[in-house]
Amino acid sequence: MTRIIVVTSGKGGVGKTTCTANLGMALAKSDRRVVVIDADFGLRNLDLLLGLENRIVYTALDVLAKQCRLDQALVKDKRQPTLALLPAAQNRSKESITPEQMSILVDALKPHYDYILIDCPAGIEMGFRNAIATANEAIVVTTPEISAVRDADRVIGLLEANDVKRLHLIVNRLKPAMVQADMMMSVQDVQDILAIPLLGVIPDDERVIVSTNRGEPLVLEPKLSLAGLAFANIAQRLRGDKVPFLDLSAPHDDLFSRLRRMFRS
Amino acid sequence: MTSDSLPTPITQLSPNSGEVSPGSQVRFKSEGGRLLLLLPPAADTHSADSPADGPADWPLNWPELWLQIKQRLNGGDRFWQPQTAVHLVARDRLLDVRQLQAIEAALAEQQLTLRRVYTSRRQTAVAAATAGYSIEQQTSLAHLTPVATEAEQALEEPLYLQNTVRSGTEVRHPGTIVVLGDTNPGSRLVAAGDIFVWGRLRGVAHAGSAGNPHCRIMALHLEPTQLRIADKVALPPANPPVRYQPEVAYIGASGIHIATAADFARTYLSHPSR
Ligand SMILES: Nc1ncnc2c1ncn2[C@@H]1O[C@H](COP(=O)(O)OP(=O)(O)OP(=O)(O)O)[C@@H](O)[C@H]1O
Ligand SMILES: [Mg+2]
Repeated sequence: MTRIIVVTSGKGGVGKTTCTANLGMALAKSDRRVVVIDADFGLRNLDLLLGLENRIVYTALDVLAKQCRLDQALVKDKRQPTLALLPAAQNRSKESITPEQMSILVDALKPHYDYILIDCPAGIEMGFRNAIATANEAIVVTTPEISAVRDADRVIGLLEANDVKRLHLIVNRLKPAMVQADMMMSVQDVQDILAIPLLGVIPDDERVIVSTNRGEPLVLEPKLSLAGLAFANIAQRLRGDKVPFLDLSAPHDDLFSRLRRMFRS
Repeated sequence: MTSDSLPTPITQLSPNSGEVSPGSQVRFKSEGGRLLLLLPPAADTHSADSPADGPADWPLNWPELWLQIKQRLNGGDRFWQPQTAVHLVARDRLLDVRQLQAIEAALAEQQLTLRRVYTSRRQTAVAAATAGYSIEQQTSLAHLTPVATEAEQALEEPLYLQNTVRSGTEVRHPGTIVVLGDTNPGSRLVAAGDIFVWGRLRGVAHAGSAGNPHCRIMALHLEPTQLRIADKVALPPANPPVRYQPEVAYIGASGIHIATAADFARTYLSHPSR
């Protein structure tokens, strides 16, 4: 059964697209057939994060307008052939597509993929409704900030009311030192309010921004950074494996020696 | 009573604010073995002469209406007998075939059957007939909307919700509200009667919204954004003592007071005269 997962947040800029790109790539690396759909019409950038911008010929809208076939619009990743991107149109608004059209696209993709990840635009308007229309699971991304958590809470309510009931949480951009100094919400504080199962925590890390600019998801690094490892672990948990949570506050050396021990055993 | 903590009173509400007009939200009501699904009217009849009622009484559009139907269904599902017939009281709302079918499907998920549609709109009646529901077109719905006309004082049966009331959700009910779950920051409960939260109350809660100062707000953990009872408003103390004890908010001598449930019971419940 194909899993159709929307990556959503309510608040903008908290890391939905970063998560979609990394999880898509990590799942593909483990030989799953993955398609990532950019549902952010008008503000697309999933293609950028994946480094696929220059290979886009057609978009989802061209498929719907019957200007091309679906497989012509799909951009296959050269690094990971089991990963494909269905790009959004850049020159159109979020109202240019309906939830019904979204279903048509997803239904057509379903037979060919194990995972369909949908990168949702910020907000709770039309673009959000399109993105969640066909999903049967959601990954809710938030940063440990009150405003982001508030919006995530709202979005969870809307997802539940729209029968998307399998929900998971990613807390992104955590700064352990700030949490320790009581200047930032802890993961526990966030979970206390949102009360959905935690999929993972990603530390705030400059390398995320660098990888964004390069169009190379962190999970492709030959030697994974902490953030890259966090994404890889999340992908594994998504697949149903039990992976212990990283201790983000531990000094790096510690962590890697511990991991090496884990791999040896 | 020394254990009373005094929340900060901020202001008095104007007499009408927060009043729950009984028809302002989607409501389920059992009546004679069937379940009525009452939709709020499309045209708000008294908004013209009392604009102070505010946004809460503005007519809902379909997505909002749909959300409320789903939330009420999700929150109350343990109480319905399977195959109970539901009569949809659509009043003056325009519903098309697709919307009616969506409602039917949502009801069916809880094993409720849409049996009949009451409407005062010809188009809705036509849509209902097209979709194959029995319809009752009527100009007056007096017998199905008893609260709208008489007995503004009599409270509705309590509204019971078993779920987390999340940010952005406002639950208004012309009776007592019982929540089995948390209410999160950014949520609002407005009840003409009492409010019970079997969980953490962290949003805004307004009891006695029609003006009854004897109403109470009770929660396992009272950590509200704001409390209101009748026309009184209070903020929680700036640094609330962390008390993981059930608490009760009520109107005392100097506005809204908060006491632990145990103290409240000793002081108030054993002296009915207070
Ligand atoms: N863990 C992190 N550490 C540091 N920077 C991060 C992290 N996660 C995301 N960012 C940065 O935050 C910015 C926004 O990320 P991203 O585009 O993924 O968010 P979004 O939720 O998709 O935004 P939008 O709502 O606009 O679609 C990017 O510049 C990204 O590099
Ligand atoms: Mg994005």
